[in-house]
Amino acid sequence: MRWLQKKSELDAEIEAHMRMAEAERVECGESPEQARREAEREFGNVALVKDVAREAWGWMWLERLVQDLKYALRQLRKSPTFASTVIATLALGIAAPTAMFTIVDRVMLRPLPYKDAGRLVEIKDWSSDVSTHYFGHTPYLDLEEWRRWSKSFESISFYTQANGRNFLEGKTGTEIINFYNVSTNLFSVLGVVPQLGRDFRSEKDGFAKSGDASSIVLSDTAWRLMFGGDPSILGKSVKVNGVPYVVVGIMPRGFAFPFQPKAPQVWTIVQLGDKDSGRTDATPGYEVIGRLKKGVSQAQATAELKALQVQVAKGYADAEVREQRSTIWMNPYSDSLVDSDMQRALMMLLAASALLWLIACVNTTNLLLARASARQREIAVRGALGAGHWRIVQQFVVEGLLLSTGGSLIGLGMALLSIKLFAYGIKQHMVMPVPIAPDIRIMLLLLVLTIITALLSSIWPAWMAAHAPVEPALKQGGLQSGSAQKQHRLRGLLVVVEIALSLTLLVGCGLLLRTIYALRHVPLGFRTDHIVVANLQIPSYKFKGENMTSNLYLPLLERVKHLPGVQAAGLMSEVPLGNTFNVILNLNGDTTGKNAGKDISAQLNAGSPGLQKVFGFKMLAGRFFNEEDTPTSQPVLIVNRAFAKLYSPDQQDMSKVVGMDFWHISGDKRTKIIGVLDDMHQKTIADASMPEVEASITQLTPGSGVYQPLETIAMDIALRTNRDLQSIIPELREVLRQADPALAGSNFTTMDQVVEDSYGSQQLAAHLLEIFGGSALLLCVAGLYGLLAYIVSQRTRELGVRLALGAQRCNLLWMVMRQAGVLLLIGVFIGLALAIASGRLVRSYLYGVEAHDAWTLGCVAATLFVVGMAAAYLPARRAANVDPMEALRAE
Amino acid sequence: MMMPKENYKNRIELLQGTLDMLILQTLQWGEQHGYAISQAIRAHSGDVLQVETGSLYPALHRLERQKWVKSEWKQTESNQRAKYYRITAAGKEQLMQNRNRWEQMVAAIGGVLATVPDAE
Repeated sequence: MRWLQKKSELDAEIEAHMRMAEAERVECGESPEQARREAEREFGNVALVKDVAREAWGWMWLERLVQDLKYALRQLRKSPTFASTVIATLALGIAAPTAMFTIVDRVMLRPLPYKDAGRLVEIKDWSSDVSTHYFGHTPYLDLEEWRRWSKSFESISFYTQANGRNFLEGKTGTEIINFYNVSTNLFSVLGVVPQLGRDFRSEKDGFAKSGDASSIVLSDTAWRLMFGGDPSILGKSVKVNGVPYVVVGIMPRGFAFPFQPKAPQVWTIVQLGDKDSGRTDATPGYEVIGRLKKGVSQAQATAELKALQVQVAKGYADAEVREQRSTIWMNPYSDSLVDSDMQRALMMLLAASALLWLIACVNTTNLLLARASARQREIAVRGALGAGHWRIVQQFVVEGLLLSTGGSLIGLGMALLSIKLFAYGIKQHMVMPVPIAPDIRIMLLLLVLTIITALLSSIWPAWMAAHAPVEPALKQGGLQSGSAQKQHRLRGLLVVVEIALSLTLLVGCGLLLRTIYALRHVPLGFRTDHIVVANLQIPSYKFKGENMTSNLYLPLLERVKHLPGVQAAGLMSEVPLGNTFNVILNLNGDTTGKNAGKDISAQLNAGSPGLQKVFGFKMLAGRFFNEEDTPTSQPVLIVNRAFAKLYSPDQQDMSKVVGMDFWHISGDKRTKIIGVLDDMHQKTIADASMPEVEASITQLTPGSGVYQPLETIAMDIALRTNRDLQSIIPELREVLRQADPALAGSNFTTMDQVVEDSYGSQQLAAHLLEIFGGSALLLCVAGLYGLLAYIVSQRTRELGVRLALGAQRCNLLWMVMRQAGVLLLIGVFIGLALAIASGRLVRSYLYGVEAHDAWTLGCVAATLFVVGMAAAYLPARRAANVDPMEALRAE
Repeated sequence: MMMPKENYKNRIELLQGTLDMLILQTLQWGEQHGYAISQAIRAHSGDVLQVETGSLYPALHRLERQKWVKSEWKQTESNQRAKYYRITAAGKEQLMQNRNRWEQMVAAIGGVLATVPDAE
């Protein structure tokens, strides 16, 4: 480097000067050594001259920085325990917010792949009375009126997902897809153009009635997965559910609409039919998405459409339906993607991780303060030699930055590792379209975090060290003088803050753990051990016109029952807590026998008789299905307790509902209710059980009203076996493949796993908080220990004097323990106040426990106190074991 | 010859601008190395002005930074390597300005010193 060259030149120049001065003196008669000495004396301070000369070059600040860096590295290498403690602390503190921020970024901040996505809103018919359970699908006539009359939108489009399960036949086999019917202008509303081929629109203003009915657009995922990314697929015919379509376009990579698909997507044009020309409860409904005009706010558009809807609603003949659609509801599309529950949970976890970071910073400050006071003499010497305040502060900050950089590099590694470890749990609750890996924003955050951490932790010790008076430190024995009293109090304050923050985290952790415990102990109403579940998606288009019960399901069940090791097997539309599929039955009052006039709304399910042996359902009254229930015998239904409570003729005795006549499920015969199940949880454990009605699969025929929803879409096979999952899956898959090749790709799991998965994100949050809380406790205890150890080492002389004057050793022990106890008590007290104040944040997340549950608070406080006192015992013992002779000797 | 000790009283603290001017003036007569410059200033001032080497070398490097002098490594008569400084055109300009300012200063101070109080 030129700079080094210049440096050596300067050295040579000054050396030349000295030699010339020397030579002249020798000429004048002095001896060489004397000449040399005199020349040097006359020259003055060589180093200072060099420094000042170099300063003229203007790069001194860099040189000083490099100097500080080298010195800091040397110092840290000399005290490896200190360095590793600080780096470990910082790594812990930085890893947590980094990991959380990565997750939050992926889930909440990721931009949508549509043009100007902030202006996309979804619109629904809504009822002014919020207590009715109306799902908000809009009939075509309504949305056409909106399109025609509303001035707030650039354009409006609509879509719906095709019913049932849909299968696309590709080169590699038949796969399940998400199949959507959309209006022709949907893609242009989203502002995205296909990467290959064209959009649906054949004319500029196409909306719904134009466009080629048999055209289909594939997503990039579907194209790559099923056709190997072959561009020649354009214009060719592909089959969905056996029906041929022509591929007209392929959407770009990374595009998905609706945004979080579970399977590859394809789109085709919606086909309006006669059913769409009415406005009744049975009219098909669509999801509507619109693009607001520039400058129009959502509030303005909402007001306009609400006024419009009053007019539109008059088109409904039925007064009750009119009431349900009398107004509208609008929401930005991006808001609908993350449910507020998840948002709240993520925010809470982010706050917890920030708390951990704060604790780590406080701990580091404490450690740096201790180190600064150990280096008092060195700093004083520097000051005496002429270092300015800023120079000393700079030194400390450089050291802090070095430690912080080390900590954040390790912290980054830890964060990535932990995200990988938790990837399974995270994927359960948030659909993340891309793999979780750091990108530029995370790196930026890391950089900012590193710098802030360094500044936060080292500024205070640096400032204090720089402004410490020089003379007392240089005096003999100054290290043990009482000047550090104020510093001790300061460090004590920091430890108290640490304790308070840790307590808050631990209380949150404790509350969540109790929630999990409560959830796990909710009685499920059925057995979960040793049950293997296969989740089937049914390619019903292959079985059109056939009786699936007799042609597909019952033979399949027989074959499964005969697999080795299978004790019992059954079919069910959906296993409890399965969350893959559900059907709701809505009946008007006039179809029920005795309860004329009462509407019935219940979950609908179908099961085979063998289920009882698999799950062991508890019956409140009556019986489960058995072999006597055939298509020709009396059609029977089973209900659950929630249903019986609502609809039983006698409110006191729910079993009276047994024997009730019900509506027809097949032919003209009325159905009888033959049994009442005890309640099972259907969606999640935390939610109450909803009314449910079960039909027997053996009795369903294509003529039954409920055949289509219950049998043609999805079916779960559940079998009880002592064999483990891995060994039985290949045999099951083979049996399924023989029944139909499309079934071989089904999902297998165990009932235990299904229950685990249904716990919701409380499980994940609890794990994370456990880690945060545990780390906080560790840091806190380390901080307390460090402070006490330091104080004891500072006071050895005083302790020696006390011993010499007659104090007992246990007095000294008690003295130190008492000091620790005071700190702990204050910290715990403040922490409890903080925890109660922040209880509101976690309230929505808890189950079975209050946010300021006294038992949890007390336990956590007691634990922290006990652990803290245990940590204080070691320094206390050291204090008690001080040898007075050693302590009193001069240093 | 030993350096007389009473010269301590005569060491005049040279202001930074003044030192620059003296160096540039010395270099007017040709290029010199640092030692020679300090000897020349001492000699020409009649042993009054002894430039502290602590100020000389920083001053030389400063002047070089301002591009008023240029430096070059050469051999001296006694075959030693030394860094020779030479004044540049810009340096000559600067010297002129400094001299003018100095003369103004001298005239001003002289004016004050020459004031005779009015006889009462």
